[in-house]
Amino acid sequence: MTALLEITDLWAGYGRQQVLQGINLHVDEGTVGVILGANGAGKTTTMRAISGMIARQGSVLFQGSAIGAASPDRIVHAGIAQVPQGRGTFTDLTVEDNLRAGAFVRKNVGASIDADIQQWFGVFPRLAERRLQKAGSLSGGEQQMLAIARALMSKPTLLLCDEPSLGLAPIITQELFEVLGRLNAEHGLSILIVEQNANLALRIAHNVFVLETGTITASGTPSEIAQNDTVRKAYLGY
Amino acid sequence: MGDILQYFLNGLARGSIYSLVALGLVVIYQGTGHLNFAQGEMSLFATFGAWWINDHGVPLWLSILLAASFAFVGGGVIEFGLIRPAAKKSPFAVVVVTIGLFQAFNSLSGLLFKGAATGLSFGTIFPNKPKDFFRLPGGAVWRYENIGVLLTVLVITALLFLLFRKTKVGLAMRMVANNADSAKLSGVPTNKVLMLSWALSAAIGTIGCALVAGINTNVSLGTMFGVFLLASAAAILGGLDSPLGAVVGGLSLGVIESFVTNYPKDWWASTYIGADTATAAAFVIILVVLLARPSGLFGSTHVERV
Repeated sequence: MTALLEITDLWAGYGRQQVLQGINLHVDEGTVGVILGANGAGKTTTMRAISGMIARQGSVLFQGSAIGAASPDRIVHAGIAQVPQGRGTFTDLTVEDNLRAGAFVRKNVGASIDADIQQWFGVFPRLAERRLQKAGSLSGGEQQMLAIARALMSKPTLLLCDEPSLGLAPIITQELFEVLGRLNAEHGLSILIVEQNANLALRIAHNVFVLETGTITASGTPSEIAQNDTVRKAYLGY
Repeated sequence: MGDILQYFLNGLARGSIYSLVALGLVVIYQGTGHLNFAQGEMSLFATFGAWWINDHGVPLWLSILLAASFAFVGGGVIEFGLIRPAAKKSPFAVVVVTIGLFQAFNSLSGLLFKGAATGLSFGTIFPNKPKDFFRLPGGAVWRYENIGVLLTVLVITALLFLLFRKTKVGLAMRMVANNADSAKLSGVPTNKVLMLSWALSAAIGTIGCALVAGINTNVSLGTMFGVFLLASAAAILGGLDSPLGAVVGGLSLGVIESFVTNYPKDWWASTYIGADTATAAAFVIILVVLLARPSGLFGSTHVERV
């Protein structure tokens, strides 16, 4: 297995405040990586640093090429799509236009994009029912599904999900992780998820990284992580 | 009846101008959240440019188009060179820069164009002879020039609508306007979109200002003061982030102004209502509308689900 995304000694933050203090992590091709971390650990900062939304230092290799200094639009073109925290819905646009927005970087127009929209409507039937509604009128769960479908419209190689379970009912969260697991298993999509909801995330993960105040303090397979006493107490609650 | 129709038509003509300048404001505001205080003076400068080109023997319509293209480029350059660096500091810095630009363009116009202070005579691209009008039932007169100005506004609005709704660039503009972060994460080069907004806005404003100059038959350093004030009021009335709102706001303000100006002398409180109070009345109505609908007639209220 080769590393699709390889991060070495990544520093990032806001102004002089360095939130990430030299983190190392990797996502292998066709796998799901999960970053566990409490509030303020630097999960969102990690995501925004990978996507190029904030200033960062260190090496970020994606498919072997350095993207550690690229602009957000270059990174999307390279094949990384992010579902931001809080879903990042284009609230004034219709559901369908949100999906078209997601396909912005694609050169081919018309038919193939329409076909993909239909495909994701098949996966998320509730979005199909609401296709001409303004996306701001959707429920939180529907918006999260829309955010994932929107990100997938760019045909990414790697999907980044920033706390997808935030603010969702447990049953919706469960459904959501099932979808993410299926996308990985059936479509071979590589995914990097940051989460606090460890139970669900560990179920679909191949590799887990524990992020604490800006550094990776533990990493391994889900079963290794589950055996780590500190992690188990902090994130799994037993 | 004929009188009322006449006041309405006069108001539409005036309002068309407000709409066009308001459209320019909205195109920038919806993308960036910035109010361009220099909108009027930037277009005034370009209109002086149109006068200058026309003065060198180029047909007026072509001069205006050339000036608008020049403004398009200039608008982009201003965004890139002045607004973008200021926006990195703070939104207030942008306000200060646009106020500075207001001064700069007005002074520059005075410096470069001899006679700008007192006014240079400016033609119109529409038929404007004394008898160029339709007579409507009831005796109201609808001048070809006023029809032309209104049509120009409607055509530009329709083109903007098509741009926003039917093109990829338009989709990118709507994405940036709605959620700049998500637009970036979807791969939109947001800086280029903002540059385009300024470019478009400057070009639209220039056409607006050239039409004002045509109606006034001259262009001077003071041409845009009153127009800009009313146009920004129209944009706020319409909702600041809605192009349709800008047009409806502009036309309504024009009509309100016209009716108040011609308020019958023998009606209630006619000592206080008339030409002198037209602008004030327009603002009172805006105040009332904004009290009821703080985001304007067509503005979007942003409700965030967390």
